[in-house]
Amino acid sequence: MLLDTENTATPQRRANSRQIEYLIIAALAAVTVVLLFAMGFFSHAAAETTEGKPQHFAGFVRPNDMGTGALLFPSRELGSFVEAPRLATDVVIDVNGPIMRTRVTQRFQNPSKGWVEGTYVFPLPENSAVDTLRMQIGDRFIEGEIKAREEARKVYEEAKAAGKKTALLEQQRPNIFTNQVANIGPGETIVVQIEYQSSVHQSGGQFSLRFPMVVAPRYNPDPIVQTVDLDPNSGYAVNDPVPDRDKITAPVLDLSANAKINPVTLTVNLNAGFPIGTVTAPFHETDMQTVDEMARKVSLKNGSVPADKDFELSWNAVAGKTPHAGLFRETKDGKTYLLGFVTPPADNLAAGTQPNREVVFVIDNSGSMAGKSIEQARDSLALAISKLRPEDRFNVVRFDDTMEVHFPSLVPATPDKREDAIAFVRGLTADGGTEMLPALEAALRTQGPVEPRALRQVVFLTDGAIGNEAQLFEEISKNRGDARVFTVGIGSAPNTHFMTKAAEIGRGTFTLIGSEDQVAARMGELFDKLENPAMTDIAVAFDGTNAQDITPNPMPDLYRGEPVVLTAQLDGATPAGKLQIIGKTGSQPWRVEMDVAKASEGKGIAKLWARRKIDDLEANAYAVNDAAALDKQIETVALAHHLVSRVTSLVAVDVTPSRPAGEPVASTDLPLNLPDGWDFEKVFGEKPQQAIPEGQRKAALEQSEEQAMLVADRMAAAPTAHAASLIADAGSQVDLPQTATLADRHILIGLMLLAFALMAATTFSLWRWQLRGLILEARDRVQ
Amino acid sequence: MSNKTTKEGNQINEGRAGFLARLNALETVVLAGILLVALAGLMLIGKGFYMKAKAEVSQVLLKRSFQAQLLGETDVKPWPWADFSTEAEITAPRIGKTAVVLSGTSGEALAFGPARLANTPAPGELGTSVIAAHRDTHFRWLKDVKPGDLLIITRKDGANLTFRAGTSRIARWDRSGINADAPGRNLVLATCWPFDATEQGPLRYIVNAELVPDAGQTTLSALDNPVQLPVKSF
Repeated sequence: MLLDTENTATPQRRANSRQIEYLIIAALAAVTVVLLFAMGFFSHAAAETTEGKPQHFAGFVRPNDMGTGALLFPSRELGSFVEAPRLATDVVIDVNGPIMRTRVTQRFQNPSKGWVEGTYVFPLPENSAVDTLRMQIGDRFIEGEIKAREEARKVYEEAKAAGKKTALLEQQRPNIFTNQVANIGPGETIVVQIEYQSSVHQSGGQFSLRFPMVVAPRYNPDPIVQTVDLDPNSGYAVNDPVPDRDKITAPVLDLSANAKINPVTLTVNLNAGFPIGTVTAPFHETDMQTVDEMARKVSLKNGSVPADKDFELSWNAVAGKTPHAGLFRETKDGKTYLLGFVTPPADNLAAGTQPNREVVFVIDNSGSMAGKSIEQARDSLALAISKLRPEDRFNVVRFDDTMEVHFPSLVPATPDKREDAIAFVRGLTADGGTEMLPALEAALRTQGPVEPRALRQVVFLTDGAIGNEAQLFEEISKNRGDARVFTVGIGSAPNTHFMTKAAEIGRGTFTLIGSEDQVAARMGELFDKLENPAMTDIAVAFDGTNAQDITPNPMPDLYRGEPVVLTAQLDGATPAGKLQIIGKTGSQPWRVEMDVAKASEGKGIAKLWARRKIDDLEANAYAVNDAAALDKQIETVALAHHLVSRVTSLVAVDVTPSRPAGEPVASTDLPLNLPDGWDFEKVFGEKPQQAIPEGQRKAALEQSEEQAMLVADRMAAAPTAHAASLIADAGSQVDLPQTATLADRHILIGLMLLAFALMAATTFSLWRWQLRGLILEARDRVQ
Repeated sequence: MSNKTTKEGNQINEGRAGFLARLNALETVVLAGILLVALAGLMLIGKGFYMKAKAEVSQVLLKRSFQAQLLGETDVKPWPWADFSTEAEITAPRIGKTAVVLSGTSGEALAFGPARLANTPAPGELGTSVIAAHRDTHFRWLKDVKPGDLLIITRKDGANLTFRAGTSRIARWDRSGINADAPGRNLVLATCWPFDATEQGPLRYIVNAELVPDAGQTTLSALDNPVQLPVKSF
């Protein structure tokens, strides 16, 4: 009987306890997993968040953030700047055929009661060259002179020390310059005028230009006021506790009112060189005047609101008159400078006849790529692989001090092969040294012969942190065969010189990816090029005349819709002869001839040639052993053509015309006092035709005065000019890297975990000990 | 009856041997969890010490390759897969510490030694040269540098330069206030702050130093011994 009940009850009890046991096991497992997870997560999060993002305060800016011309003053926040109130802007763009000259005149104000040293910044378009700098600071006029870099800096420092108004415009990198303006007095007005030259952008029969105009919104740092309505019955606040919304949502200066007080005028003198079809400015209202069939005058409508977009103007030719070739010349100092452009026929490259491509991707995963760089490289490469078509063939090579070729040979870009390669790329980590040569050899030599009618392209992703450049250039030029080498520069400071030159020798292009958000756009541009090669093997020759320097040299490949643009320097003022351009579209030869004597007159060609000559000299630096001689060559060209370059700067010196001492200078009579050839009227005084209702005008004036007060509040103005320069010096600062390892943290957490484990183990054994005791006791009692 | 149950229990556990045989399923899981935690702890400790060991050991190799560089050998690498070059040697004679400085702080150079920031001039050139290193390895001694201390830099071209430490201060990494083009020949040593924190933070400890002028030859010979001392101690 007793046995019976025992027998029936035990399995049930056992089943119950089993269930509980399983529950406890599950709970414990979950706790353990969560614990481990949390640990991993915290150590990761700590690494990410505590570094601290760069601090940005509303209204404070940094030089690289500026979307248009601006004068920056050092602010009270070290390393940040405030924008000087911009009182007026005038822009004149002269387009002559393929060349454009832009003159920007801007008037600023020092709203504070102290001295400051400012920095003028202007985002230059690519391949442009600044050659003129004129300024007016208070009642002094200064004009830039081109000088060797060291000499210019010396002149600037001396003038600054002597308390004179002075400015220095130096090139930091191509297209990036800084213009320091010293000794700006309390309340003084500053007028800056720069002139730069660039080429008109041409693509697919459309000609276009762009002028940077994006104005950063100015924030109104009104204190946030929170009003609380207390309910009289309950004593609790019941209304919306969000701080005063009006003051948060309307922080931006009213642009339309500001435009009337601080006007922006912009004029484009468009001389296309061919019968113009349509002219459009997509983002701004414009007035358009027809001068003749080849010329237009375009200006911004009076009082038009500066949209938060760059000014763009595009034009094309009357149908059927699209120029496929052009030749311009300029005579300067007894020499003739030629500019020629030819658009190759695009008809025989219909979409269906795209050649198959054979792409070899080479990715650098050496230690110098650690951090953001390798992430960008991985993203870029994965994107590139995903864009391949199934007809294409490809391979992936990675290298540090070792090297790995992913597929034994080129494979068709089928979806599974692409997935495979992307997985390989995603798994890469940055470590080790940089041995680029073997990888380059593998990419250029060991991928088998190029299939007939296929295009071999080598895409190289690296930061270019290498020392044996010359060796690599040699390898590319010797073994490129029919392949094209495209370089993609990764990270914030890649070796652009190496990559530009490598792409040039490899007859490809160089793409720079500076940050994560540029990956998609820049790789997209590169892919358009990779997919649409139009003409290869281009060569230029002069017949019957002596051409000294033809740039670019060698001629790059052309992509769909792009023209060949070349400049050359010829002996003598009236050269004769023929210019020949030959090339290949697919396997078909192509040739064009132009008569030099029939070239039409153009302006600014000499400067364009000089700028390109300097680029060529810089690019050939690897072949020149004597760096000093190269610098000298660049200096000679730059000085002769008044260009800012790596070795030459513009330094502004006082050219104020003599005037009876003590005569006060009011802004209205300034034009009378301007030095010869100066044109500042546009930025002084309001034009009478701009009829603005008095009330509106007053409100706008008040608002801009308010803004000026805000700027003055945030500026770090100094009582003396010398102190101002010290403040300015402290402003340009170096960012410090992270210098704490997680070693101590790891050890600490590790020790804590060990201690925890030890405690748990002790508790466990104690518990087991006691339990066994209890069990034994129970057994004894039963028995 | 109870004999029966224990028998059954034994049967269930028969597959397992030794110590584990005496545990039921729940106990096994608990024990496994404890072991896992202990293992994770050991791995973290190992990782931490590995980082420290890497910093110390690499300095020995760096020192060797820097000596070779001083003797005129070009293209010397501390180890075949290194991705940086040696640039200078910094010595704090009073504290008796020395370290080989690398070029550029990109990537992982800082794990092996102090590095001169690439956008600042070389020590002794016009401007402000900035050398940064980890607070828990190579620049652990930076907190002991007092105003007036001498710091000796041996550049890879053999030049021996003496700097005198000045004031020190604390700043955010993006508000350092260090101007690379400042007048004079200055040196800035930077590391993370606070010194004994275990977290990575935004603050940096900055020591300013100025080149001691006209100290060229005399300093060089006078300080030869202090320069050598730490090298020998390795």
